[in-house]
Amino acid sequence: MLGYTLRRLLQVVFTIFALTVLVFLLLKLMPGDPAVVMAGIGAELAVIEGIREELGLNRPWPVQYWRFISGLFNGRLQAMTYHKPVWDVILQRLPATIELGLFALIISLTIAIPAGILSAIYRNSVLDYTVTTIALTGISIPVFWFALMLMLVFGVILRILPVSGRGTSVALFGIQQLRVSFVTWDGFRHLIIPAVALASVQMAMNARLTRASMLEVLKQDYVNTARAKGLRERVVLLKHAFRNALAPVVTNVGMQVGTLIAGAVLTETTTAWPGIGRLMVEAISRRDQAVVFGLALFIAVFFQLSYLLVDLLYAYIDPRITYD
Amino acid sequence: MTSDKQPLNGTQIIGRPRLVDIILTLVLPGLGHLVRGYWEKALLFFSVLSVLGVTLAMAVAKHRLAWLAGSSDYWFSTVMMFLLLALIWTVALVDLYKTIRKATEAEHYVVGYWDMATRRFSKDAKGIIGLLLIGLILHVALFAPFFASGHNFEDVEGYVKPRIHAIKMDLYNFQAPPSGDHPLGTDNFGRDVLDRLIFGTRVALGIGFVATMLNMFLGGFLGLIGGYFRGPTDAVLMRILEVINSIPFLVLALLVRGLWQGGGIVSLMLILGIFGLAPARIIRSEVLSVREQDYVLAARAIGAPTGRIILKYVLPNALASLIVVTTMSIGVNIIVVAGLSFLGFGVPPPTPSWGAMLQEAQEYMRTAWWMAVYPGLAIVLTVFGFNILGDSLRDVLDPRLK
Repeated sequence: MLGYTLRRLLQVVFTIFALTVLVFLLLKLMPGDPAVVMAGIGAELAVIEGIREELGLNRPWPVQYWRFISGLFNGRLQAMTYHKPVWDVILQRLPATIELGLFALIISLTIAIPAGILSAIYRNSVLDYTVTTIALTGISIPVFWFALMLMLVFGVILRILPVSGRGTSVALFGIQQLRVSFVTWDGFRHLIIPAVALASVQMAMNARLTRASMLEVLKQDYVNTARAKGLRERVVLLKHAFRNALAPVVTNVGMQVGTLIAGAVLTETTTAWPGIGRLMVEAISRRDQAVVFGLALFIAVFFQLSYLLVDLLYAYIDPRITYD
Repeated sequence: MTSDKQPLNGTQIIGRPRLVDIILTLVLPGLGHLVRGYWEKALLFFSVLSVLGVTLAMAVAKHRLAWLAGSSDYWFSTVMMFLLLALIWTVALVDLYKTIRKATEAEHYVVGYWDMATRRFSKDAKGIIGLLLIGLILHVALFAPFFASGHNFEDVEGYVKPRIHAIKMDLYNFQAPPSGDHPLGTDNFGRDVLDRLIFGTRVALGIGFVATMLNMFLGGFLGLIGGYFRGPTDAVLMRILEVINSIPFLVLALLVRGLWQGGGIVSLMLILGIFGLAPARIIRSEVLSVREQDYVLAARAIGAPTGRIILKYVLPNALASLIVVTTMSIGVNIIVVAGLSFLGFGVPPPTPSWGAMLQEAQEYMRTAWWMAVYPGLAIVLTVFGFNILGDSLRDVLDPRLK
């Protein structure tokens, strides 16, 4: 197990290294000079040259790459257009995204798991068809359009929820990195639309997955054995079937981190939620190479580690699985 | 080899359609089937024909022969119309021939995997609905100018390059609510929303299909090679895939697209086509198990060249999953393109794409709800079609999963 973990970690490090090189090349090959962008319209040549010197843009590429990487690790890399270190920019936006993601996850799981289970138990019933149809529609709905529709219905027509922004947020224990908004009424109301929108796709996926996994388990011999022993159906379903069906669902939540991040980019942009997804779009538009690079690295690390964690968790949840 | 497949009575003529069948089919595809008693197929041919016929009649009635005036949009649709009609005639002839052969050789005919799959598919309501939905949307895409309203074609003459930009602005009709004249209202430039949606199907399906075909060929190729040769080749391919997959697809596309601003539709197709390699992983795992089968071993033992083994023995057995993944990928690509366009990094503005329409709609939510509702519905309907078709194909092509 330890050997496997180390091997996987090595792999993750290699993958992320390769990705950073890829992103760096993209940044360097992109049309347009960041120094010119930073200097603004009508800046003098000397000013542009100064900025270029300051950012090390006229140094060889490997040196620039090293500047980016080392600067990110020691936290001193300055954002090009935000006038503070890249890490500060990212960390300032991170809590909003984590809050949004967690809420979306909670919403999606609390609805998807029971729906999936019921749909599997009452297979081929009206309930099952309803759930599968809704789930199938759910994976076909773009999150940003769903967010727009929620804004239209609850914000514009019914006027019961605010349409955009994060509302009032509070820094927990006075730590800025723990700034959350769901504790205040205003913030909570702001959270509902983006969280439900982001949850929609996850919800559909998880319901389908739970149903499939539950159906698979219900076919197993041990479920028959449990029934043959004369256990009550409820016990069979909940204790024997459900617990085993849950393992792939739980581990799949980790796999969905990617969808969640992609969804966050769209949802946050639609609802003006100040998280890292929106920051990504913003930084790309502002051509802030440092922030784009930092964010890409951050997202990749986050994504890869959650994958790894899930892999390891899987072996823990399901003892039949061994690596090596 | 053919001896055991010949009819018992030894005649060669049996199992071929008679002249009258051919003449009937040439007169009207499906008529031959009807006379021979295959009324289900006859009905299918008739309905497809009548849909095309109605479309053509509608176009003629609406714009008379305007498409001869030189719009490339019209030319494309007209050529497609005749190609499709020719295709129907050909398919009807070939199918009649095959059906009759199969029927007369029934006792010698081996029911294969694809026959079984077709039979299962024809009984699967989900798949049929998906197919119909996609057929409908494809139809709208192919014949977009025939369906579009008359608003845009007053100045067809001399308008050299209308293509999909043809939707006219009409600032006097700024954000007009849905009415008889504009069934789905107009947008902030006074352009008809329905017309933009109709031409948007071309953009969405066009990008979706091309990008997915690239995914399929590239991903399928890499998956085949990696899975078949294993070893270092496979290791290198897998590492490449891991790097591409180490960041969500949309974010990667956003990065590439956003940093290289100003790209058109072609570069968008290329980016999605090259980076969306989802098929590779699935084909690889399929090939890994197929290559261990005895028939592959047998082919290798008789000294078949590697290329032949891959193409004739491995690929056909991995084809089912490739088809399923490809169908699903079209939907995914359409959503990604819509997402990118929504963020402003997708299809560049004057081109009517559903995502870009939603981006414009966002600003006018309070005044023009129709701008936000309908493009989204179009996306949902299209992607839903591909998703249920893919779902059904998976059930049909891989009965193990059922």
